[in-house]
Amino acid sequence: MTVAQDLSHDRLIHDIPMTARADMRVPARVFADDELWAQISRDRSLEQLVNVATLPGITRFAYGMPDMHEGYGFPVGGVAALRAADGVISPGGVGYDINCGVRLLVSDLSADAVRPRMQELMHELSRSIPSGTGRGGRLSLSEAELDRVLGEGCRYLMERGMADVDDLEVTEANGSLTRADPSAVSQRARARGRDQLGTLGSGNHFLEVEVVDDVLDEEMAAVYGLARGRVTVLIHCGSRGLGHQVCTDYVRLMDQVMAKYDIHLPDRELACAPFASPEGQRYFGAMCAAANFAWANRQTIATRVRDVFHRFFGDAGALRLVYDVAHNMAKLEEHDGELLCVHRKGATRAFGPKHPETPPRYRAAGQPVFIPGSMGTASYVLAGTDQASALSVGSACHGAGRALSRHAAKRVKPGHEVRRELEAAGIAVACLSSGELAEEAPFAYKDVERVVNVVHEAGLARKVARLRPLGVVKG
Amino acid sequence: MGVSSELLSHTAEVRLRVRAPSLGELAAEAGRALGQIQLGTTPPVASSPWRDLEIRAPDRDALLVEWLNELIFLAETERWVGVDFEVLACDDMTLSMRGRGMVVDEPPSRVKAATFHGLKIGPTPAGLEADVVFDV
Repeated sequence: MTVAQDLSHDRLIHDIPMTARADMRVPARVFADDELWAQISRDRSLEQLVNVATLPGITRFAYGMPDMHEGYGFPVGGVAALRAADGVISPGGVGYDINCGVRLLVSDLSADAVRPRMQELMHELSRSIPSGTGRGGRLSLSEAELDRVLGEGCRYLMERGMADVDDLEVTEANGSLTRADPSAVSQRARARGRDQLGTLGSGNHFLEVEVVDDVLDEEMAAVYGLARGRVTVLIHCGSRGLGHQVCTDYVRLMDQVMAKYDIHLPDRELACAPFASPEGQRYFGAMCAAANFAWANRQTIATRVRDVFHRFFGDAGALRLVYDVAHNMAKLEEHDGELLCVHRKGATRAFGPKHPETPPRYRAAGQPVFIPGSMGTASYVLAGTDQASALSVGSACHGAGRALSRHAAKRVKPGHEVRRELEAAGIAVACLSSGELAEEAPFAYKDVERVVNVVHEAGLARKVARLRPLGVVKG
Repeated sequence: MGVSSELLSHTAEVRLRVRAPSLGELAAEAGRALGQIQLGTTPPVASSPWRDLEIRAPDRDALLVEWLNELIFLAETERWVGVDFEVLACDDMTLSMRGRGMVVDEPPSRVKAATFHGLKIGPTPAGLEADVVFDV
């Protein structure tokens, strides 16, 4: 806390004091330079962040990351630390896509080895990894198998030969939250998720083949196994319909019990219950189960990608998992000796070298942090810092952040033009919907370089490497 | 006054404004608009038979959210997208509707959920108006 207070007049920190609104329990703090602050101020995200500051049991600040923009309940890029002992847990503070997250895999292939076959490769990847349930690639589960995925996540996939010890070591929480309670996941949620393991979903979900085009910290890049010119794969997706329904179910439940706990909030979507209450514990168990489903989903997709790369490039196409990190989660964490339920909505952990949850093989660098840009722009690999615990309860941003609404993006440029421009820049595109391509166009997002620089300069995470897209599969 | 719907600005999600003379017609129009968002185009003529849908909720804001989330659930689990609705009965806590639509090849997963965020069903000179934010 001392560090954060010392930085309160820093040019990259914008504080909203508790006097701004009578119901705030803590101040709000946004990490942004002047231009990002101006962008953030244009939509409703600051009002949403102030709403977060009213949650019972919130401590320190309601934090906004540099990619923050308007969401529902929490802003996207919002972080809140709530005391586990007397604070609340809010399904809307996690979001509908529970454990939406990113994993990065790296190969020994060079871009030159891959480029001649990019169109063919992207076609095969899009065929093998469907966005929905209607085509091949998904893993259909019996009720018993679904229970094991919910309860054990990637550990169950390891038993099925779809993951190995190395994969689990470099997945947040080893891809398996032990507090998961499959019995707290409704039949409706199971019905939505049963046929969706191994699918990308839609919206901003994607799979990108990229190349490491710049190394910004040689030592830390070496720790992560990243070297200039190497081909990587970045996968962004979450818990699909199962997670969406878990959130829907528990927003409804929390909405109905808030009066019992005498909780009054400015936004009904923030509906919550004490973390320690039966309702809070039941949601936490269901959320952990949905998170396990999401990790298993990304692991299943990674298995399909590995199969495709092996068919195309043989043993040279082997893909090693660098790390898998969650974006939308509530995690029990200790900061400054206090047990907190840290809600990250469109934000990621950024734990430093000394943190016990940083994988042993990354103790020299810190936990890898991924900040994807947009189709057509760079993505970044960073390393978490020990000081981030005091600065932002160990959090950093999860992407570039939207600057334009989907509707506005489509008005700027139609999808076929976006596709043509990406292809002219040497990026192979596999996306069935021109409309969704337009919605996710590079100009719809903030400047990722600017966002990453704020994260680096504020000390939330340190730049390690830059990735440039070669091909993208849009969900 | 007739019914109408329009998309309003939202940086990341979809914000829908719906107007109608009554709560039931407001829900019906919101359901039609949701079908259009899910299909990504103006819906063709409904091809499925009519089906009955019943919703209960503690108040009318929750009723609208529950109704829309039921349609999202049906789209994802049955691949049924409703595009045409008739109100059979409606009060602040119950909605009885019949609907017809179409069965699609791919379950439309574009819309994850209808949210309570900023939701308020309010009066207008000619009926009711509501803004609903969908997570997409």
